[in-house]
Amino acid sequence: MSIFLNLGIHQHIIRRNCEFHELWKLYNIEPLFSTGRNMSSQRVDAKVVLLGKEYVGKTSLVERYVHKRFHGGPYQNTIGAAFVAKPIQVGDKVLTLGIWDTAGAERYEAMSRIYYRGACAAIVCYDLTDSSSFVRLKFWVKELQNCEQQCKIYLCGTKSDLIEADRSIRQVDYHDAQDYAEEVKAEIFETSSKTGRNVDELFQKVAEDFHNSTAFQVMTEEREMDQRQRKSCCHH
Amino acid sequence: MQEENEHEPQLVSVTRIKCSEKTLRPTIPCILHFTEVTSVTGLEFLSQPGQEKTIRACYSLAWIIERCLPLKPDTGMEADVHNNSVPLENGNLAPVDRLRRDRSDSPTPGLVEGTEPGAGQDSAMFVHAQSFEDLTADGEQEQEEEVQVPEGGDRSERGPEVEKPRTEGEENEKMQGQPGEEEQEQEEVQSGGGRAKEEDVNSEAWRRHRKHVFVLSEAGKPIYSRYGTEEALSSTMGVMMALVSFVEAGKNVIRSIHAEGYKVVFLRKSPLVLVGVSRTRQSERELTRELLYIYYQIISLLTLTQLNHVFQIKQNYDLRRLLAGSEHLTDNLLRLLDCDPGLFLSAVTCVPLPSSLRDVVSSSLQAAKAKNLVFSILLAGSRLVTLVRKKDQYLHHMDLHLLYNLVGSSSSFREGEGWTPICLPKFNTAGFFHAHISYLEPASDLCLILISTDREDFFTLSDCKRRFLERLRRRSTYQALQEALLAPSYPVSQVGIPELRHFVYKSKSSGLYTSPEIPIPYQSEEEQERLMGLYQYLHSRMHHPTRPLRFIYHCAERENLLSWVTSGFELYLCFSPLGTKALAISAINKLLKWIRKEEDRLFILSPQTY
Repeated sequence: MSIFLNLGIHQHIIRRNCEFHELWKLYNIEPLFSTGRNMSSQRVDAKVVLLGKEYVGKTSLVERYVHKRFHGGPYQNTIGAAFVAKPIQVGDKVLTLGIWDTAGAERYEAMSRIYYRGACAAIVCYDLTDSSSFVRLKFWVKELQNCEQQCKIYLCGTKSDLIEADRSIRQVDYHDAQDYAEEVKAEIFETSSKTGRNVDELFQKVAEDFHNSTAFQVMTEEREMDQRQRKSCCHH
Repeated sequence: MQEENEHEPQLVSVTRIKCSEKTLRPTIPCILHFTEVTSVTGLEFLSQPGQEKTIRACYSLAWIIERCLPLKPDTGMEADVHNNSVPLENGNLAPVDRLRRDRSDSPTPGLVEGTEPGAGQDSAMFVHAQSFEDLTADGEQEQEEEVQVPEGGDRSERGPEVEKPRTEGEENEKMQGQPGEEEQEQEEVQSGGGRAKEEDVNSEAWRRHRKHVFVLSEAGKPIYSRYGTEEALSSTMGVMMALVSFVEAGKNVIRSIHAEGYKVVFLRKSPLVLVGVSRTRQSERELTRELLYIYYQIISLLTLTQLNHVFQIKQNYDLRRLLAGSEHLTDNLLRLLDCDPGLFLSAVTCVPLPSSLRDVVSSSLQAAKAKNLVFSILLAGSRLVTLVRKKDQYLHHMDLHLLYNLVGSSSSFREGEGWTPICLPKFNTAGFFHAHISYLEPASDLCLILISTDREDFFTLSDCKRRFLERLRRRSTYQALQEALLAPSYPVSQVGIPELRHFVYKSKSSGLYTSPEIPIPYQSEEEQERLMGLYQYLHSRMHHPTRPLRFIYHCAERENLLSWVTSGFELYLCFSPLGTKALAISAINKLLKWIRKEEDRLFILSPQTY
């Protein structure tokens, strides 16, 4: 019996008795001609990806921003990734953000590339009360700098309500984080999904930056070109 | 010696320990149960919480090697030694073909396989669902398990690994001993409900759990424990691994230890070892299947390829890193195994729906296809609404149960559209499928799972979902479907047999089963589990590898049960304790007629393909 295993845009038929390590190698191959076209749809203007260690609160952040609510319940880890499309007003235009909330668990790491490929913004989260999450953040920033140069990076320190309640539990110093942000040319926000502090501001900033970016200009120009072409077609 | 790394028990060096009997006080609770049973040594085992784990592990190892193995076969547990050498037919546990031949003179000759109520009209939806086929699929392992006398014979005439197929007499004894056991179970339920990870593994409460499950790597590193933290149990797991490898060193395979109502079942699935410790009345085979489910659960997250890969690179890899956050999936699966008949029946149940409605839903799903789409599954809670598959591709019910479990134990799919790699281990353990998982509406119970081979397919599948929903709405089926789901099951009173409390009917050829709502006396969680336990017990008797039965009438204190297996179906009935056997027998016909009449509604008779 042969089984289809998909390797990006290439399909290989691999026999079941194929050597395991070979299969593994095959499986890790990145598609040669990846355009990122497939994973971003027309109905979305800007692809935004959330990255960061597990339990830093990526899902809560999206939940707060999209649904304006906060679950105080027991922790539920994300499986794979979740996608939400959210319209946002910038100036006189309405953009649609396609937000990818990824799972922080290590086993999904190999998959993460399909989520950040072609993203115009990455919100890399860390837990203000957990220094190890900041170490993990640096990993993601490096990964983005290597693979996705045009992607704008936003650092997001989460759970700031906990810090406000008890300053002593802060493990990531604000100035250290800010220095690092400057070094990697990233924006930095400290948010609380529980109170909603800075959450809307973060996404607004993401949308505005995208609006002002060249990518957006190019996109609108292309659209106008399209329309003009269509019009001229109609005339003939 | 005492500085030895506790995560990697070195068997060779440990065997050299010589200890006087008084210092041999292993505090390994799991093994302790086992020692209590086989207490040939007469040693007194006390817990020593203050002692260092390493010392404990070494002592235990030494103790096991010194004391456990020279077990005499006459310690009371095994009445049927000869059966150990009964060859397994074709390496299969269920002698399927022979059974079929035997059953051709079934009391209802019309009901041969494929024509029983609920049988699909075309091809089946699932990989053919014979009971126990999942174990037979692992035939190569089973074949190894014929008992050989280890070398150096006089030391152990028989290792503790011998399987003991049990006689009916034994089973009856077991049944009589049941009330006491049940009391214990109830106590336990009161003492602790959900997952108590912080539980003290040296406490009595921990030991009294009905069923423990441990997963460890071949290096003896803990991966999962149902109760208590893995860290606290690392020495226990080290001992388990030592036991497994010790027996293997003698060119043998340890399968189970039976003792005083306890069963310790080992499942070796390289690079993992799974151990179940149970004092339920489930048979060893049932327990092995449960362990197999846990194994597949892990595979579904990682693929066997990746699992092998990480252990190839680093033998003492801590797999908990890769499995982080998946514990609740395994916990939930263990709960399902206790209360969902589908898992032991190897079958799936579906929502009762008028066939016209189901057909519209199926064809809408069928129309919303995409190039790489392999399966489209619509679930309502843990029941199937419909399933459409690619031609020639079959979904195994075990894989479907794993999908149920994934969807059922996570609320994360309610937040947006989920997109996750998933391995369907019965389909292919080597690679990932990619599943688009979303609820049709945020508050709805209807969950759509679209499974593709392409990891870039998210928006294609998202579009499939949109097209499916549009089609449903256009034909105003969506509303009808929502309304039908307000009553996701049916009361047993619809059948019109007053003594009948509950039943489970499985159509073998379609791999689907139907069952009414759980009636009042069984609605509490522990009662429901008890009822399922009874069904499971009957199931294991009917499918006994060497003495299969066709028909059982079982009188118990609180209910009477009847089960019947033919080539076409399996039937389990639960009557009030006042019912008689004659009533029960007459109820069968009435029930089968009713199911035949309702089969359009209760089953998916015309499964669709793209």
